[in-house]
Amino acid sequence: MLDVRQLAAGYQGNDVVHDITFHVDQGEAVMIIGSNGAGKTTLFRAMCGLSEPSSGTVVFDGADVTGEPAQRIVRRGFGFVPAERHLFPRMTVQENLALGAYPERPGAETMEVVFDLFPRLAERRKQHAGTMSGGEQQMLAVGRALMSQPRLLVLDEPTTGLAPKLAHEAYEALAALRDRGLTLLVAEQQVPLAMAFSERGYVLENGVISLEGTSEELAADPRVRSAYLGLS
Amino acid sequence: MTDLLSRLPAIILDGVVLGLQFGLLAAGLTLVYGLGGVLNLAYGQMAVISAMAILFAVNAGVPILAAVVVGLITGGLLGLIFDQTLLRPIYRRQGEARVLLSLLLTLGVAFMVDGYLNWNDPTAGLTIQIGGGPIDVFGVPMRRGSIVGSAIVLAVFGLLFVFFRSTVLGRAVRSVIEDEEGARLVGIDPSHMLRIILVLSGVLAAVVAVTQSMIRPVTVTAGFSITVLALIVTVVGGLGSVSGAFLAGLILGVINTFATSEIGTFLSLIILLVAAAVTILIRPSGLLGVRE
Repeated sequence: MLDVRQLAAGYQGNDVVHDITFHVDQGEAVMIIGSNGAGKTTLFRAMCGLSEPSSGTVVFDGADVTGEPAQRIVRRGFGFVPAERHLFPRMTVQENLALGAYPERPGAETMEVVFDLFPRLAERRKQHAGTMSGGEQQMLAVGRALMSQPRLLVLDEPTTGLAPKLAHEAYEALAALRDRGLTLLVAEQQVPLAMAFSERGYVLENGVISLEGTSEELAADPRVRSAYLGLS
Repeated sequence: MTDLLSRLPAIILDGVVLGLQFGLLAAGLTLVYGLGGVLNLAYGQMAVISAMAILFAVNAGVPILAAVVVGLITGGLLGLIFDQTLLRPIYRRQGEARVLLSLLLTLGVAFMVDGYLNWNDPTAGLTIQIGGGPIDVFGVPMRRGSIVGSAIVLAVFGLLFVFFRSTVLGRAVRSVIEDEEGARLVGIDPSHMLRIILVLSGVLAAVVAVTQSMIRPVTVTAGFSITVLALIVTVVGGLGSVSGAFLAGLILGVINTFATSEIGTFLSLIILLVAAAVTILIRPSGLLGVRE
């Protein structure tokens, strides 16, 4: 479904990530783990069209979308939830969700699906997004991305700024989406959470993919155990 | 003191009439700035060109209502031309460089337009006469032109509020003002929204020309004073906020009328600037501006 080959990207001519090759198949839940500054955000921004990759290709659903602007890629069914969320702070929960379905008027059923997944959003539908807690904003960001009924949902560090309990809840919601058959890709530095959730993963270190494998394989790898799981 | 009290209703009503004009002036400017980070210093000239188009049509024998439509179309076309030509190099820059370049380029256009119009016919001016004697409002005789002009401004603001609150397109425009990256992530093309807003801003400039000309003549040299007043109201109301422009327009309109009536015309612009400076000191983002 998503096929990234030899992608390189960075800022002002300085590549931060190099030679990134990975893929996500239909129905899979895949993680990209790495510490702060490993290049996860740079990679995701270039992949979803918020910045231009300097080389390599991104193929989504059989179409080459390399360098296509985000607003076009999104309409292909490629949902992206950035770590900073980028909600519309002075609009209500409902307005934020409605815009997620742009350019269509939002379907009532889609909104019900989101409210089922995050009952908290239903309680706060008239509240301005900017006045909500970090956890609620994360729910809203995921909900807004779901409104376009994407076939692939990509999340950059969905647990940023969340307390451990809320981070857990965030992954429970993602697991529910995975169990409904949605294809998911997450970048995460809270590795245990991501590992419990995904089937497969890649390790991003200093801008390159250093390891890949199933979650079990990665969990058993001594380097991953010491660097990301705090085990020896 | 009793004197002032007896004058107060007239001052407030005149202030509201002026304030509505101020608010409309600012609406077109504030939207373009909020959306694209582009400060259009040729905004007043867009209004003047629209006024001249109306004048031209009227002189050619076109009935006044049709001439007004010609003016509105002219304004919209000006906005579209701006978007397609002048603003292209501006959009390619980000942040401060974008604001500075937009100031320089639009100022240059403003000077050129002013120069041409002055050379062409320095005495030209648009006045739209609304016939009939004054109407009594709360005991104050008001000119019909002021009342019709104000009614048009209120109707336009009503339409703007409906557009931004209740239509998909209006919400999409707001989303770009709130968070451009967030808007792109839901599939909204910011440059498409900017084009729509520039056309809207051109039409609003033309409405300014129409309603102003019902109250006093819109002359070929009116451009800069329109832009400056629009800038002051925009800054007080908050960049990018239409409701802020409306509110700030009303407040400054009353302040300005009060100053003109009780202190003197020569100080009223200075008093407006002081009011703007005080607002910015207390609330740097304006009355209803988005906090950075």
